[in-house]
Amino acid sequence: MASTTTRLRGLVWVVPALALLGIFVYYPIVENIRLSFYSWNAFSPNPVFVGLQNYTDAAADPIFWRSLRNNIAYAVVSLICQVGFSLCLAAVLEEFVHQKLRGVLRVIYFIPAVISITVSGILFSFIYNPQFGLLNRLLGAMGLERFQHAWLGEQKTAIWSIIGMSQWQSIGYTAVLFVVAIQRIPRELYEAAKVDGAGAVRSFFSVTIPMVREMTTLLIILTVSGAFLVFNEVMVMTAGGPSDSSQVLGTWLYRNAFLADNMGYASAIATVIFVLTFAFAILQILVSRRRRVEI
Amino acid sequence: MTAVTSTSASTPIAANRATRGPGWIRRAIAQLFVGLILVLLVLAVIYPLLWMVFSSFKNNSELFANPWSLPGELRWGNFERAWNAGVVRFFVNSTLVTAASIVTTTLISAWAAYGLVRVNVPFSGPITGLLLGGLMVAPTVALIPLFGLLQRLHVYDSVWALLILYTAFRIPFTTFLIRAYLIDMPREMDEAAYVDGATRTQIFWRLVLPVCRPILVSAALLQALFAWNEFAFALVFISNTENKTLPVGLMDMQSRLLTEWPVQFAGLTMAALPMIILFLIGQRQFLRGLTEGMGK
Amino acid sequence: MTHRNRTTALIAVTAAGALAACGGPGTATDKTSAAPQLTASATTKEGTLSIITKFADPKYAPYFEKVATAYQSANPGVKVDLQQVGDQPFKDKIRVLSASKQLPDIYFSWAGDFANKFVRAGLAADLTSVIGPDTDWGKTFSPAALKAFQYDGKSYGVPINLDAKYMAYNTAIFDKVGVTKPATLEDLLSTCGTLKAAGYTPIAFGNQYGWPAIHFMTQLNAMDVPEATRSTDYNPATGAFTDGGYAKALEQFKQINDACFESGSNGLSHETAQANFLSGKAAMHFLESVEFSGLTEKGGAPADLANNWDFFRLPPAGDAAGDKGALTGAPDGFMVNSASKNAALAVDFLKFMTSKENGATMTKDIGWLSSVQGTATAENSFPQLETALKDISSANSFAIWLDTVTNAEVANAYLSGVQGILDGSQTPADVMKGVQSAAEKAKKSVG
Repeated sequence: MASTTTRLRGLVWVVPALALLGIFVYYPIVENIRLSFYSWNAFSPNPVFVGLQNYTDAAADPIFWRSLRNNIAYAVVSLICQVGFSLCLAAVLEEFVHQKLRGVLRVIYFIPAVISITVSGILFSFIYNPQFGLLNRLLGAMGLERFQHAWLGEQKTAIWSIIGMSQWQSIGYTAVLFVVAIQRIPRELYEAAKVDGAGAVRSFFSVTIPMVREMTTLLIILTVSGAFLVFNEVMVMTAGGPSDSSQVLGTWLYRNAFLADNMGYASAIATVIFVLTFAFAILQILVSRRRRVEI
Repeated sequence: MTAVTSTSASTPIAANRATRGPGWIRRAIAQLFVGLILVLLVLAVIYPLLWMVFSSFKNNSELFANPWSLPGELRWGNFERAWNAGVVRFFVNSTLVTAASIVTTTLISAWAAYGLVRVNVPFSGPITGLLLGGLMVAPTVALIPLFGLLQRLHVYDSVWALLILYTAFRIPFTTFLIRAYLIDMPREMDEAAYVDGATRTQIFWRLVLPVCRPILVSAALLQALFAWNEFAFALVFISNTENKTLPVGLMDMQSRLLTEWPVQFAGLTMAALPMIILFLIGQRQFLRGLTEGMGK
Repeated sequence: MTHRNRTTALIAVTAAGALAACGGPGTATDKTSAAPQLTASATTKEGTLSIITKFADPKYAPYFEKVATAYQSANPGVKVDLQQVGDQPFKDKIRVLSASKQLPDIYFSWAGDFANKFVRAGLAADLTSVIGPDTDWGKTFSPAALKAFQYDGKSYGVPINLDAKYMAYNTAIFDKVGVTKPATLEDLLSTCGTLKAAGYTPIAFGNQYGWPAIHFMTQLNAMDVPEATRSTDYNPATGAFTDGGYAKALEQFKQINDACFESGSNGLSHETAQANFLSGKAAMHFLESVEFSGLTEKGGAPADLANNWDFFRLPPAGDAAGDKGALTGAPDGFMVNSASKNAALAVDFLKFMTSKENGATMTKDIGWLSSVQGTATAENSFPQLETALKDISSANSFAIWLDTVTNAEVANAYLSGVQGILDGSQTPADVMKGVQSAAEKAKKSVG
């Protein structure tokens, strides 16, 4: 056992990280919870203590629930595309495609991920433009005029258009990560499956999917937490409109704090986001810990 | 060892399956179908980007009249207007903040990770918990309280604010990555150096960091992607146009160049092209760096 | 394990300490600071002035840069730090700045409760002593413009222009189709029908950010609800919005939407709609007089439109119960930060900006009517602008934009509600419910 001073000196290693975290990450959480019990804004002379009112307001606020539903929709679609479809895409790339072509395709699919999300957001708001945008023109050229919409201007289509853009941005990214995971699968497993008479699809389900479990878990965590934290895309493309139909929790928070002069309420929303992501993270840890024990 | 190339025998599409065996029609159709999807995906990725570049050379009426076509003439003036609207400035600001935060985050996280894994730090259990617990905190949640804090620290509306925040909020994830990597590293290597009289700090700089290069590169690239795209903090904490980073500056530009669509396209092109070109040049290193460390 | 318990206790204590150490939100500022010194005593002026405007639009920005540069040349010791933001981003930007106590020395403000917010929060300097109706400077302004920035009998803002909302129409199209200027709302609706049948978009309308629809509602509310009721309702402390005229106004807007607008207006920007009017696809367009210059050849409009347009006020319904002679409009203005260390310099700059000379330049350069009297002449303005000035001077009363005259909660309820009317997802009754509950909430937060 080293002496106390040596042990204390050991703290030097973690102090910078802890200090930064404590001041800029943990303190805001606590402060945010405290602020959510007040009613105040940029112009209020005196903040008023209102107890749980902001939370009851949230529960009664249809737009709050709309935002939550939009976040959930985001998560579900992202899981399907960025985990489900990406995995299939990666498997196809690894199994069916010629080596040289494989590298080229991987690079091409990955390109959207290196473009700033804001650039994609603005680009897609042009693609969705009802008058000169690519999408409507494409539909027109194929004779599908009746499917043309003001994609970002109609309540029914706005959030889905944004979610679509998000998939464009990230499918290549997750596919590349899956490719790496698939490459680590020992070939013998596939050989064994083939010997057992499994075709491409069967071995995908019986070999590929189980063997990329860790990467899948990681990507599920990233995708779902990303879906609840989404802010950039929505802000850039619709700012939550029209009629607040494409609000997500992050933008609804921002709007209440900086456009509706209601910061206490915004703090309450922030606390809800925190609780949701916190709970999900804990869930993931528990699940992965259990799984590790199994393996 | 993690290699980017596959160890399986390279096969052209389905060459290792007999082309004449039973069910070859079904296989051929499946190949066609798969090939079609792959091609569609390529188009889906490339066409919007091409459209972006072409449109930036047009003028408004050409854009409305003929979105598909190649531009009639190369209107470089659009790029000049976008330049004057500050695109370059935003790009530079983003690069500076991203590069700086890569250095600070990686160093501080590696420092902490090494400390936790090799050095006998008191309370190491709870401290690890605290460091990694930060993973669960979303930046948006901290927006409002950070206001008063940053302002009291007199860093509001400066790149320092972003630097501090980008570092603080990424420490948990980066520490997590590096720590996982270090745990798998054999102790004997640095124990030997320790016995030879090297201090922990020397071991850190001379031995551990170089050996950890793969994971450090991965962490750096992930940090770059995060900082490059970060929007909420940049939106709220930077107010002077001079100091804005790319994401916020582009939105700013959009609200100023209201109906000058081609100029906006030019701005987008100027913002996206450097990254794409950089990526294409360094893609092997990039993809390898991104994934090598994460394989553990 | 004692280890863990000790650590938990440590964390708990730190958290409690953090909670206790912080004061309530916003207690850092002292809202009762002494009124700033407004009249400069020194003969040489020096210092740095920070200004934020919402005029980043390349059509208008140059004028303000010009004024700033001119002021700097005339006063070499002064540096003007001019920040120009877009119209929409300004709305959250100004709140971010206010919340972080970073408000510049001079800042733009819309008239109405938007400006009054700043006054109530102690962020606006009381300018009565320099710009009140009895002062030399105050007398140079049009009285209505000055009044728009008064609160509780005191002056807090400096109006820089006059602005009103009109329906511009393409006279050539009207002649061709055989319709005339409508005198009532019913006439307008049937004119729209005729125009639509002839293949034109009756009114070019894009509502992307919500305020274009609000401007229609401002005029309709003014014409359908008596003034006294309106002032009570627009005041956040007493707002109720129970008068039947409000729902009637929404109903009328719905009728206008069905007869005169293209569908999908929520997805179109105001500027894109304007482009449709300029190109002759649409026959009418509801816009502000500060935008008139964009309809002239000098402002870049095609000759076909530039030589063939006129305007009228949005007409009232035959049985309108409010103020039929009200005109939607308000001056734009600047306020001075009460915590500014350069308040005297700021006032001096604003005096410079609103000198007769600079007012005339404003009209000449960017086609705005200045709030300074006697600045619009035949030389520096065009015929429609002169007519507008006469009309504005003769208006009974001004209806300030609905989204700035009321408090933010009510404004937001209207903004999103009206978008719902446009795409058919909400009825006037739905929207009024939303507005009424927002008004309740507003009462609580202000009172």
